[in-house]
Amino acid sequence: MVAAAQHPNIELVTYAEVENVSGYVGNFEVTIRKKARSVDPAKCTGCGTCWEKCPSKVDSEFDLGLSKRKAIYMPFPQAVPAVPVIDREHCRQFTKGKCGICQKLCPAKAVDYEQQDEVYTDKFGAVVVATGYDLFKWEEAYGEYGYGKFPDVITGMHFERMNNASGPTGGRIVRPSDGKEPKTVVFIKCVGSRDEAKGKSYCSRACCMYTAKHAHQVIDKIPDAQAIVFYMDIRTPGKAYEEFCQRIIDEGAVYVRGRVSRVFQDGDKLIVRGEDTLLGRQVEVAADLVVLATAMVPSEGWEDVAKLVNLSTDKDGFFQEAHPKLRPVETFTAGVFLAGACQGPKDIPDTVAQASGAAVKVCQLLSKDEMDTDPVIATVDESLCSGCAMCHPICPYKAIDFKTITERVQGKEISRQVSAVNSGLCQGCGACTVACPSSALNLRGFTNEQILAEVDAVCL
Amino acid sequence: MKRVGVFICHCGTNIASVVDVKKVAEVAKSFPDVVYATDYQYMCSDPGQELIRKAIKEHRLDRVVVASCSPRLHEPTFRKTVESVGMNPYLFEMANIREQCAWVHAKDKEGATAKAIDLVRMAVSKVRRNAPLFGSTIPITKKALVIGAGIAGMQAALDIADAGYKVTLLDREPTIGGNMVKLDKTFPTLDCSA
Repeated sequence: MVAAAQHPNIELVTYAEVENVSGYVGNFEVTIRKKARSVDPAKCTGCGTCWEKCPSKVDSEFDLGLSKRKAIYMPFPQAVPAVPVIDREHCRQFTKGKCGICQKLCPAKAVDYEQQDEVYTDKFGAVVVATGYDLFKWEEAYGEYGYGKFPDVITGMHFERMNNASGPTGGRIVRPSDGKEPKTVVFIKCVGSRDEAKGKSYCSRACCMYTAKHAHQVIDKIPDAQAIVFYMDIRTPGKAYEEFCQRIIDEGAVYVRGRVSRVFQDGDKLIVRGEDTLLGRQVEVAADLVVLATAMVPSEGWEDVAKLVNLSTDKDGFFQEAHPKLRPVETFTAGVFLAGACQGPKDIPDTVAQASGAAVKVCQLLSKDEMDTDPVIATVDESLCSGCAMCHPICPYKAIDFKTITERVQGKEISRQVSAVNSGLCQGCGACTVACPSSALNLRGFTNEQILAEVDAVCL
Repeated sequence: MKRVGVFICHCGTNIASVVDVKKVAEVAKSFPDVVYATDYQYMCSDPGQELIRKAIKEHRLDRVVVASCSPRLHEPTFRKTVESVGMNPYLFEMANIREQCAWVHAKDKEGATAKAIDLVRMAVSKVRRNAPLFGSTIPITKKALVIGAGIAGMQAALDIADAGYKVTLLDREPTIGGNMVKLDKTFPTLDCSA
C-alpha cells in the first residue's frame, strides 16, 4: 500500500468513480468524478482532532459493524491517503445545518463544508479493471443459520477484523454478543459456494485455506479452545496449501465432513446440528461462536462497470476474459484488461500473479508509440447508406455514429447523414453488416460477396 | 487469373484418421484457380510452413488456403508464413477440418471426407475474392488507468509504474487497499496483509 502511495509514477485518486469511458485502445477518454471529501488533502495533516471531537457515531463499514466510527473519519489508522472524509449522510452540519465542531477545531483549517464533487476528463492508453469481490449476502439465503439474527454467527471477514491487531477488538477473538472469549468455535464452509439451490454453483477457492487459518488462530490465541470445521471437501490446490491445512489438523482442529442443517440459540450457546457423513450420523455441537465461510461474489456495482468499459460477464457477474486459457487477462474490448477477483473468485497468490500478467499486457501496449490496427473492420458504402441508423444500437462496441456528407443530386448540393465506423472502436464482429437493410455495410475480408461465394460453393 | 494453393493438414492422426486427406487434396486440384494442392502431417510445424513458402515461390501462388484446425490459434501463424514471402496476409484463408469436421464426425469417415471437401471448396471460393488488406496505425497515450485499488489493482499499478509508465490508481473508497486491508494474517505463510 505504501509502495503504491509513494511511487512517483502512480497518482492515487481515491473516493472517486468512473463516470464515462469513450475512445478506444490506446486512446481512452475517461471522465472521473472525485467525490467531495469535505477535507482539503493539501492542508490536512491527519492529526485526528476532527474525528476525536466529532459528536456523530455510526457503524464502521470497514469493521463490518463491529465498531463505531465518527461522521468525519478515516476508515482505519493506516489509510492511504491519511486524510479523513466527511460522511455527509450522517454529519450534523449537513443533516441539521449546525455543528461545525470539526471545522472550528481543525488546526490546519482543512475542513471545507462547501467542497464540491470534482469532475474531470483524462486520457489513458489502457485500462485495468480490478474491482474485486464482495461477500455473498448469506443473511438473505440461509434461514437454517438464523438469517443473521444471532449476533454470534459471523462471517470470515468479521473474524478477520477481530484478529487484526488494529481491528475493533485489538486482535482478540470475542463473541460480538457479550464480548466474552469463545471456547468452542465452529466454522461452516461453502456458505453460498457450491450450493446451486441457495447460492452459487461455483467454488470460491479461498475459503478452505482461510478457514484453516482461522482454525489455527483460534487454537493459537485461545487456551483450551476447540476449533471444529464442517466441510464438504477440503480443496487445497496450491503450493504449500495442503501442508498448511494438514498442519492445522495436526494442531488439533477437528474437521467434520458434512453439512450443517441448523444453527439455533440455546441459552448463551449456539447449537450447531449437522451430519458427519464419514460416521454416517447426526452430530450436535454447543458452540460459542460460529464463523461462516461465505462465497465471493462480484463487487457491488459490477453491472455499471461492465457497461462503462463494455465488458461481458458470466452468469454470476464476473467479468469475462477473452479466452479462458490463452487470453486470461484480456477482454473483448481491446486495451481493457482484468486483474483479480472481478474475473472470478481467487486467492491472494493467484490475484497477484494475474495482476502482474495484466500489467505486462498494459506495458506491451504502452511500450509502442503507435499500434497497428486490424484491417478486418466494417466499412460503409456511403452511396448505399440511407442513414436509417439501424446499425448503431446493434454495434456492441459503440463504434458507429453519424457523419454528414455533401452530395450533388440533380445539380443541387445536398447534405445528409450517413453512418460512419470508428476504426479504433470496431472489433470486426460483423453484427452491423447483417443488420443493414441496404447492404451498405461490409466487413473487410468478409464482404457480402465473399460470404455469398462461400454459400454458393457449398450449395451449387 | 488467380493462382490458389491448397494445403491439407493431417494434424497427426487428429484429422487424417477420419478424413481422407489425400482425396481432399486431389479433389481440391479441380477447383477453379487452384494450381497446386498437397497434404502434409503438420502444416503448422517448421517444415510444414517451409513447404507453403516453397510452393508459393515455385508455383507463383497469389492465394493460399490451409485446411487444418480452428483459426483461433494458427491463423496468425499462417498469415505470418505467407507474409514472410511477400504475400499480403489477408490473401490467406483457413478451412477448419478438425474441430468442425474430423472431431465431430469421427464415426463417419466418408461423410467427414465429403464435408472436408465442401469446406475447402468454400474457402477456395472465398479466397479467390479476397483483396489485400492493410491496417493503419493509431497513436497510444502512454498512461494507464487502474480501476480498483485492492490487491489486484495495487499490484498491477506498481508493475506498470515500475516499467516506467504513468498510472492513475482509482478507488471509490476514501482509501486504497480494498478487501485486503481488512484481513489479518494471510495463508499459507501467515504474513501480514497490509
